[in-house]
Formats: sequence, structure tokens, C-alpha cells
Amino acid sequence: MLAGKAPGLQHPNSNSILRGLIITLAYDDVNRTVTKRLLEKIGCEVTAVSSGFECLSALSNVEMPYRVVILDLQMPEMDGFEVAMKIRKFYGYHWPLIIALTASTEDHVRERCLQMGVNGMIQKPVLLHVMDSELRRALQSASE
Amino acid sequence: MELAQMQKSLQDYTKSLFLEGVLDSQFLQLQQLQDESNPDFVSQVVTLFFQDSDRILNDLSLSLDQQVVDFKKVDPHVHQLKGSSSSIGAQRVKNACVVFRSFCEQQNVEACHRCLQQVKQEYYLVKNRLETLFKLEQQIVASGGMIPAMELGF
Repeated sequence: MLAGKAPGLQHPNSNSILRGLIITLAYDDVNRTVTKRLLEKIGCEVTAVSSGFECLSALSNVEMPYRVVILDLQMPEMDGFEVAMKIRKFYGYHWPLIIALTASTEDHVRERCLQMGVNGMIQKPVLLHVMDSELRRALQSASE
Repeated sequence: MELAQMQKSLQDYTKSLFLEGVLDSQFLQLQQLQDESNPDFVSQVVTLFFQDSDRILNDLSLSLDQQVVDFKKVDPHVHQLKGSSSSIGAQRVKNACVVFRSFCEQQNVEACHRCLQQVKQEYYLVKNRLETLFKLEQQIVASGGMIPAMELGF
């Protein structure tokens, strides 16, 4: 099936700021598959994982220069905030960047994200152009 | 049936799903993620959704049939179903899950039973509709045609 191209989306190779490895962590198969594909569509190389353990293991692999973790906060069997906390504990606050995906619009979620050293938040369901601009924004401010 | 007629049927059918609120714009997002390098992306994700949902609905039925309902088990299942249905644009399933969750919060067992029936109903509806949609697409592709891009002018 061939569907229409997304209007206004930059060609993935036109901007190298997005190139680089990304880990996407989500418990739910559907969300993980969609997020992974979305990131690939905007030009990223993606490793999809389904547990905090897998995520931390992937980050500990020195041969893979991961830059960003896309963290789905909604995970019934583990606390997304705990994963973020562990990442910051082991790797500090400058790397990797963490962008949280949340279905919630509540303030306390935003508060907690900031406390955990999360660099960006995107509301679910995720839109292509929103992921694109939020990633660019986070990567841009990290490089400044 | 002529190719052009099949393509028109598909467009009309897809449009009707949006007008009925069975699908929302998130489904269009899925279609945007499909391309030459991932030509079956939509049907792959939707199939995943069916597999996961079948399992979740089964677990929910079991959980709600217990003598003492453990809402700590029920709510995460509904939450997950809400999330995945939202991701693929199954709007009515998602909305039914939202209602379901509010009754979980109230720990209202009877209402939850009704909600589960509602969710199942909406789920089987979208499942049926999407399976029909994919069949229409397959017929077009088998006839050597292209799937027309979805027009957003409605």
C-alpha cells in the first residue's frame, strides 16, 4: 500500500542534527512499534526495548553512541520515572537526553519529569511533526 | 469490478469510518508512516493491536469474574488498551476505555462489567471494519492498482 507523503516534513537526510542512535522504551508492543517507525521516518537509527533493564543495558554498550532515550511513561509493570532516575544516577544529567511520552496533561507529571532530569515531554498519541520538532529542540539546546 | 471503482469504494469506505468516529486522525498518522521501505506497516501494527487486545480483553474478563475484583490488576489493563487503541486511531475503543477507567477508580464492579461489554463491542466493530478495509486494499493491489492517498477534505 502506498499512501500520500507527509506534507511539510523535511527530508530525513537534510539535517544531520537528527542523525544518531535513539533508544525507545515502551512496554506496549503497539506503542513501541509505532514510536520506532516514527523515529526512523524522521531519520533516526532506533533500538526499541521493552524494559528498563534492556534500556540500561543498551546504554552501557560503549560501542553504540546513543544520544536520546524516548521514554514512554506509561508502563504497568515498571515505573517510567524510576527508569529516568536510574539513567540520571548512572550517567549524569548531560547524557543521554531523555524525552518522555505521556498521555497525561497533569501538572504533577510535568513537575516530576523536570525533577527526574527529563529534557522534553511529548503528549500521546505522538504526531510525526511534534516528535521531529521536540527532538530537534532538545538536541539543539543540548549542543549549546 | 473495475480498478477505479474499487479505489472509489475503498475511499468511500475509509471516509465512512472517519465520519462514524470509528477511526480518528491517528490512523492517518499510521498511514503516513507507511512507505516503499515499509509497505505493510499499517496492517502490521493493526495486527499487533488485535493480538494484544485479544489478550487484554481475555485477562479483563477473567479479572472481573473473580469473587473479589482486584482493581489494581484491572486498571493497568484498561490503561494499556486505551493507549494502544489511541495509537492506532481506534477512537471509539479509546473512548470506551476512558469511561471504563473512571469506573475502575470508583471500584464499581457492575459498571465495570458493562464497560467491558462496551469496550468489546467497539473493539469487534473496529476489528471487523479494518479487516474489511485491508481486504479492499488487497483486491486493489492484486489487480495491479495503487491505493489512493487519503483525502482530508471532510
